[in-house]
Amino acid sequence: MAHFFYQTLVGQIILMVLETLAVLVPLLIGVAYLTLMERKVMAAMQRRRGPNVNGLFGLLQAFADAIKMIVKETVIPAGANRILFLFAPFLAFALAMLAWAVIPTGNGLAVANINVGILYLLAVSSLGVYGILIAGWASNSKYAFMGSMRAAAQMVSYEVSIGLIIVSVLLAVGSLNLNDIVLAQRHIWFCLPMFPVFIIFFISALAETGRAPFDLPEGESELVAGFFVEYSSLAFGLFFLGEYANMILMSALVSILFLGGWLPPIGVFPFTLVPGPLWLIAKILFCLFVFIWVRATFPRFRYDQLMRLGWKVFLPFSLIWMIGTAAFLMVTGLLPQGGGMN
Amino acid sequence: MSTLSRNIRSFLLTEIVAGMASTFKMMFQPKVTLNYPYEKGPLSVRFRGEHALRRYANGEERCIACKLCEATCPAEAITIEAEERDDGSRRTTRYDIDMTKCIYCGLCEEACPVDAIVEGPNYEFATETREELFYDKDKLLSNGDRWEALLARRLELDAPYR
Amino acid sequence: MVKVLVDGTPVDVPAGSSALQACEAAGKEIPRFCYHERLSVAGNCRMCLVQVVRAPKLVASCGFPVAEGMQILTDTDVVRRARRAVMEFLLINHPLDCPICDQGGECDLQDQAYGYGSGVSRYQEAKRAVTDKELGPLVKTVMTRCIQCSRCVRFSTEVAGTPELGIVSRGENAEVTTYVEKALTSELSGNLIDICPVGALTAKPTAFRARSWEYKKTDSIDVMDAVGTNIQIQARGAEVMRIVPRINDEVNEEWLSDKGRFSVDGLKKRRLDHPWVRVHGKLHKASWQDTLVSMARRFEGISGDRIGAIAGDLCDVESLCALKDLMTALGSSHTDCRQDGAWYDMRSRSGYLFNSGITGIDEADALLLIGSIPRHEAPVLNARIRKQYLHKGRGGFPVASIGALPVDLTYNVDVLGEGPEVLTRLLDGSEAFAEVLKTAKRPMIILGHGALTRPDAQAVYEATLQLAYQTGVITQDWNGLNILHTAASRVGALDIGFVPGSRGFAVTNMLRGGVEILWLLGADDFPLDKISKDTFVIYQGHHGDAAAARADIILPGAAYTEKSGTYVNTAGEVQRALRAVFPPGQAREDWQIIRAFSEVAGHPLPYDSVEALRARMAKVNPVFSNAGTEIAPAPQSVTDSSVSKGTAEFNNARIRPVIDDYYQTNSISRASLTMAECSRVYGPMRAVAAE
Repeated sequence: MAHFFYQTLVGQIILMVLETLAVLVPLLIGVAYLTLMERKVMAAMQRRRGPNVNGLFGLLQAFADAIKMIVKETVIPAGANRILFLFAPFLAFALAMLAWAVIPTGNGLAVANINVGILYLLAVSSLGVYGILIAGWASNSKYAFMGSMRAAAQMVSYEVSIGLIIVSVLLAVGSLNLNDIVLAQRHIWFCLPMFPVFIIFFISALAETGRAPFDLPEGESELVAGFFVEYSSLAFGLFFLGEYANMILMSALVSILFLGGWLPPIGVFPFTLVPGPLWLIAKILFCLFVFIWVRATFPRFRYDQLMRLGWKVFLPFSLIWMIGTAAFLMVTGLLPQGGGMN
Repeated sequence: MSTLSRNIRSFLLTEIVAGMASTFKMMFQPKVTLNYPYEKGPLSVRFRGEHALRRYANGEERCIACKLCEATCPAEAITIEAEERDDGSRRTTRYDIDMTKCIYCGLCEEACPVDAIVEGPNYEFATETREELFYDKDKLLSNGDRWEALLARRLELDAPYR
Repeated sequence: MVKVLVDGTPVDVPAGSSALQACEAAGKEIPRFCYHERLSVAGNCRMCLVQVVRAPKLVASCGFPVAEGMQILTDTDVVRRARRAVMEFLLINHPLDCPICDQGGECDLQDQAYGYGSGVSRYQEAKRAVTDKELGPLVKTVMTRCIQCSRCVRFSTEVAGTPELGIVSRGENAEVTTYVEKALTSELSGNLIDICPVGALTAKPTAFRARSWEYKKTDSIDVMDAVGTNIQIQARGAEVMRIVPRINDEVNEEWLSDKGRFSVDGLKKRRLDHPWVRVHGKLHKASWQDTLVSMARRFEGISGDRIGAIAGDLCDVESLCALKDLMTALGSSHTDCRQDGAWYDMRSRSGYLFNSGITGIDEADALLLIGSIPRHEAPVLNARIRKQYLHKGRGGFPVASIGALPVDLTYNVDVLGEGPEVLTRLLDGSEAFAEVLKTAKRPMIILGHGALTRPDAQAVYEATLQLAYQTGVITQDWNGLNILHTAASRVGALDIGFVPGSRGFAVTNMLRGGVEILWLLGADDFPLDKISKDTFVIYQGHHGDAAAARADIILPGAAYTEKSGTYVNTAGEVQRALRAVFPPGQAREDWQIIRAFSEVAGHPLPYDSVEALRARMAKVNPVFSNAGTEIAPAPQSVTDSSVSKGTAEFNNARIRPVIDDYYQTNSISRASLTMAECSRVYGPMRAVAAE
């Protein structure tokens, strides 16, 4: 049996598909329930009930929403570029899914455990901008176009500081492999020694995913709904799925980079009983909770404030932090030697 | 000093933390929303809901077609046509309220000299089509018949303040 | 002039004015119920109390004559308290049923109680109730609401001249009644509704139908008679609900005849709202396009002198002008507006006008009616004659008539004879009335259509003209020879030249087969059975009356409430009516129909808008140049004394009245149920003998 999967081409393809599905299906269900969680948590923080009619505690609400969205009419605006207009949401969705290939849910448990995993992530998330730009341009609507411009500028700005912070982490790990990054935190999670950049990374993650208080690309008050204002039905649904998948991805990245990935908090008896993937899921859930928590707490930034924060605060700070980390590692001789675990 | 403390506070994100603590605490407060279709809020006797045309105890309709409600209606939602009835009394042949135009201000009720048109306590009269919200005289009278006990009680309770 | 001080403001008023008039002149509002400008002063409502300095107590201003230097106070505490008290008394027995009262919203009592009353009542006892009176099919009574102001009594006695209302009993039992139950016999009874300050007298046909505030009001001109009464059409939505008079002292003062007021329901009945075409002997509905095209096909190959047009009594000048122009374009000169076969002196405009003007009646001091029964032909004008009769007294305003009077004209009339031979006697002086006319300063002759529709009309007219010159009815500064028309469109049609051209046929010749195609513009009142069998008849009009049944093509036109039109009254005053509502269904304004047909027929008329059409009218006859709300200048006096001695001889037949049934004179009133009911109640002719 094992032979079939590991030795034959057909077997390997089937295995590949199964592995992919094993990631994607829980992910999509996760997205569905993330929306429910968001609504429930927001409701709780605003002392409301949230959805509670469809199913027990509103558990079927996510599927009700999905069905509603799918059966709606796909409207293609007059003057829109049909091909690009329909291509953009697929691109956004596909990229959001693609990134998950390298996320390890346990030791070595990744669809593709590659050595340059973190670079791959950076590359894929940078490509996400294209989906947004194409959507905004193809809609032939000023709101969509303005929204996509904002979204692109915002994502590019915050990717810079995200990149620099990741470099700081990589300096400490000495590897681009995500598995190695997690394993490097066996003794201490990076969130403790690197607390300030952990916070900055988290905030940048908010901005990168366009979440409150940085949900300017959507900007209901001035842009109606931003780059996907012209989208409806499944096309809108794909954007929506992509966005929430990105949220989960960012949470996973935060967990992996700073919160020790699948590792238990302390490597002693009762904690080690719990399997690693559950730990990772718990950490991702915590991050997502904070995402929502922030949304329920803070009002939206102004666009100039957003840019100032990104370029004038986060960028210099993470740059200094990177230099400081490198200097500290050089001085103390703790700089890991090339090759790392592999 | 103040600049320093402000900068320190800014760097330590105290306000952000305080804000998040505040929302977090709210999660454990009791919910304020009503579980609407199953529980309903209290209603004032002056609540202005769905309209009804009332009758006298002997079954005679109260409306005398004076058209004051039509005249006072700021949304011009009421349309009345009147005629002399066979017994010589002044009666409406048509009494329509376009509930989609109505703004539920209650001026019709206030203008009515015989308490015929009233806004009752019912607010659950959503319909699937627009046409169903164009109420005619029969619909309004049947509303009146259905809610009469409550309508009379409400008028009685509110009477001292009118 | 007398100088008085009203609240410190000095005003000059004519001697003999009342204190109330002085206050009005000073711009003060004095509440009143019983006082009315056009009625005698009664002074019984006490609402107009004012304070006169050095008078021992408050005086009723309506009946209190002013004196030099009098000081009147209208807004002192005493006055206000008195008004409140009077109002409280008036309201003691008033039922306060405003919500079900048709007067509600336009009620003097309501308004003044609001403005001058106290707002609360201290009256605890039972109110009185009064049985309602039956006043016929037009006026509904709710006598409990009556405040005994006696306006209605004075109106019917003074203006209408039918003293059928009165107040009986005293004190709390006083009530307005007809003594014995009978319908009011006046043609002006509708004005009682306007004049009643409360809701005691309201309109019966429209009872409870609408409220005063719902109406869209449009100024217009009445077409039921030739007086040109200024009216206001009050419409609710697309429906004309009622018609009320406008005040115009030059024409109708503030009265309106019952036919003009209550024919409105005729505007909704028997309407032509779709074009019809007769195919194989049966009328079928058709579209405008098909109708006009099939009409144009019928016109093809027919020479112009085989086409004729007859205009009816309700047409506006616009449509007459358009049809006349169309006929000219088609090469026809057979146009006639005189469907009753009347003869007019067409040499100048004064040959067919009420030359003294309607206000001329106010100066007249002798009157000779020739073949005219003004009470039926023009009730409002008749009220004016009665006003002058009351003003001058019986001796000061002698009235005589040639032609029997089937109805009491409401003033004393000497019937000199029933045939035109009386004119001969007047001319040779053997009739005493000739002397009366001669001695009068402002003698007046009203020549009616009873005389003008006779076969010997020309002879009658010429004899009358001669009499006028002989007796000073026509002088340098006074032209008292008046033609009283009965058709609203007639003078306008004559002015626009809607009469046979030099070789054109008059009505009788057209009917006799002189034309192959006959275009009837609302013409119903001529012997239709005389139209020759093979004549192709086009009926353009608004009602499916007699002529529509004979028609081969029916073009649905607009009634007078549905078009903006120009009308010329019997005195030659050009007046403009505005559109109140749109014509029903497929019906269109008449001139537009004619314009549309002219296009289809290949002779397009040179105007596309009503403005251009009116410019064309002004070109045809300058009297239309400044028509509008203004009244055209009074017609010139005739001083041409070269009267051609009539060659025609009188025939000695009796002069017949032209109106048999006042309530059924045109297609609108014939369609009206109210008018039919009136006709039933009052009979085809009011057989009340002259005094």
